[in-house]
Amino acid sequence: MNQAVTSIVIVGGGSAGWITAGTLAAQITKQHGSAIQVTLIESPDVATIGVGEGTWPTMRRTLKNMGIRETDFIRRCQVSFKQGAKFARWTTGTTDDYYYHPLVLPQDFDNSNLVLNWLEQHQHKSFSDSVCYQQALCEQGLAPKLITTAEYDALANYAYHLDAGAFADFVREHCVEQLGVRHILDHVTGIDAATNGDIAALQTANHGKLAGDLFIDCTGFKSLLLGQHYQVPFVSCRDVLFADRALATHVPYPNEQSPIASHTISTAQSAGWIWDIGLPSRRGVGHVFSSAHISEQQAHQELIDYIKPSYSDAESLSVRTIEINPGHRAKFWVNNCVAVGMAAGFLEPLEASALMLIEIAASTIAEQLPATRSSMDVVAKRYNESFDYRWQRIIDFLKLHYLLSQRTDSQFWIDNRASASIPDHLQEMLTLWQHQPPWHSDFDRLQEVFPAASYQYVMYGMGFQTQSPHPLTAASHANANKWFAKNSMQVKQLLASMPSNRELLNKIYQHGLQPV
Amino acid sequence: MSNFTPLDPASHQNIRVITDRGADYGENIHLVPVVADELRQLVLEYPVCLLKDPNTGQFGMHALLGFEPGNNLFLQAERWQANYIPLHIRRQPFMVAVNGPTGTAATPENTVVTIDMNHPRVTQTGGESLFSEHGEPSEYTRQISSLLAGLIPAVIRTERFVEALVQHQLIEAIQFTVNLADGSKQSFGGLYTINEEALAQLSEQQVMDFHQQGYFQACHLLLASIGNIQKLVILQSQR
Repeated sequence: MNQAVTSIVIVGGGSAGWITAGTLAAQITKQHGSAIQVTLIESPDVATIGVGEGTWPTMRRTLKNMGIRETDFIRRCQVSFKQGAKFARWTTGTTDDYYYHPLVLPQDFDNSNLVLNWLEQHQHKSFSDSVCYQQALCEQGLAPKLITTAEYDALANYAYHLDAGAFADFVREHCVEQLGVRHILDHVTGIDAATNGDIAALQTANHGKLAGDLFIDCTGFKSLLLGQHYQVPFVSCRDVLFADRALATHVPYPNEQSPIASHTISTAQSAGWIWDIGLPSRRGVGHVFSSAHISEQQAHQELIDYIKPSYSDAESLSVRTIEINPGHRAKFWVNNCVAVGMAAGFLEPLEASALMLIEIAASTIAEQLPATRSSMDVVAKRYNESFDYRWQRIIDFLKLHYLLSQRTDSQFWIDNRASASIPDHLQEMLTLWQHQPPWHSDFDRLQEVFPAASYQYVMYGMGFQTQSPHPLTAASHANANKWFAKNSMQVKQLLASMPSNRELLNKIYQHGLQPV
Repeated sequence: MSNFTPLDPASHQNIRVITDRGADYGENIHLVPVVADELRQLVLEYPVCLLKDPNTGQFGMHALLGFEPGNNLFLQAERWQANYIPLHIRRQPFMVAVNGPTGTAATPENTVVTIDMNHPRVTQTGGESLFSEHGEPSEYTRQISSLLAGLIPAVIRTERFVEALVQHQLIEAIQFTVNLADGSKQSFGGLYTINEEALAQLSEQQVMDFHQQGYFQACHLLLASIGNIQKLVILQSQR
């Protein structure tokens, strides 16, 4: 039991597998040199599923930690800059109904909670536009930085849109060539169990037995090790989040230099929503819907209706159907096996949480890597507890988008507000927020996935009315007005100085960003 | 608007160029591009930093003349208070143009001397004449031609040097705060210099290469020049 962990085997080579491999290998090499070997085995003929074209700002640190140059990443992975999400037609369903969930925090967010001031005096302007300059940048299609800004640095906090297939290839190349990850192309044909229930080795078709101390399951929906071998049950949340299917397609731009949106556009439909993600060479567009509420044919028609104004030949686009089984495994780490990515669970991509969860999982495993087998159970217990918390909070936050809707035009939206479909924790928080706006103390975990700022943007973007029984002082309004004014000034400065998303990308292709 | 035309005895027979110093001639600037070849002279007067080109993000080498645009602390009326004036200033109003499509790299062979006819130095009276009545270049023109001829390879050498610094990740940002005359404090970003720690960690082979190219000297001259920021602060406080 006191045997040192010296060999880590990752099964599966999609984004989950390679992000985990790169994060582990970089961290291990930095701390322990070549004392621990990271091996990734993937089947030569299993196609990876291209989900997760949107990231969180966390991806910047994830890539930097792996020793990847941002310039290389941008040039190789069809990357564009993402500064948040625009939610259209979610609240009332009318054509002019929209709000933003930007990535920059509200003004003075460490000290000032501006919600009540805004509710009382500033509702003529949207919440996000009042407290954050990023919505203005997005509305103008502007970039979050300049060509003189160093790699991974930001003038306005940003994440990425990327081509998931190209991304997995790119990270694989870096892992194998720069980080010493051993890459095996082979089929896993069986599992050898040790007497304590651990996985002792994987049987492979052409490479014999592959032994290891820690096995990481990145096999996607298959969940080969955690689901199939360990039979860890799947906890569905379809009773909370109804979307269970997606229709995905690629839409060409009118021309090569067409503007690229700086944000994900999420437009609510009759029984779900459509994502619209601008990459440099194309848009990725898809309809996530509840098959209990509309047929696939209806969903397809809504997708075509959405695309048609920007691409007249929408009917000719090839469309792929993706099944979504929303939920997660009851545990993520069992014995010497931990699942990362879709092998652990999956939710609709409404807030681009899939890659972010992979990054947190990989960095948590890297940071808490058990030195010996005997310490693994302690790490596993803590890991399971913290990741269960994260999944519940993501489910809460996604549900928030649906239950705050005032739409009554279809059963889907009405069903979403049924109290039986609302998680208890979320219901409790909403009770609290009737009279006080979300604030830091409502979110007290170390790596909280959605902070108070995210809740503020969504709730007050969707017309939530918090009614404090206490009046605000003149000093409070004076402080708030100072920040609202500062925000307006920053909007003016940024609009005058930032290049468009497309212009900046072209400059990066031509000149590159400097690492400093 | 600049209006550069190739220098030619027929068209520029009667043109004269004023060689005085001063704000009238566009010298009240706080940054000037420099070449590595003049570092030895520059370090006696100016802080020399690396700066990013706002259009390309690529590093270039510049002498710092002041702390804000339109304020050259070395300029006092018609006098430039320094023993050495950067080549880029002294070459005005002339420039070297490259024969060829846009983007063609300059070489001593494909270049031609041009003059900016809209430059305030260009006049009909006073100053230096460019050609004799027989079309022979004047002593002044010969000096400028030789200065420009030396400048082209120096610019190319400087670009290579900066490329080597980028490639070996030897550049780091510097930040400093200056107390301005009006009592306000201003912090400066966007300036870069050599990362001494990284320089000390070059491999033996890289050290050899750097030594042979003269890059080591240049790095140390750049580092030494940063001390001149204090000189600028004093000049600023005397304003």
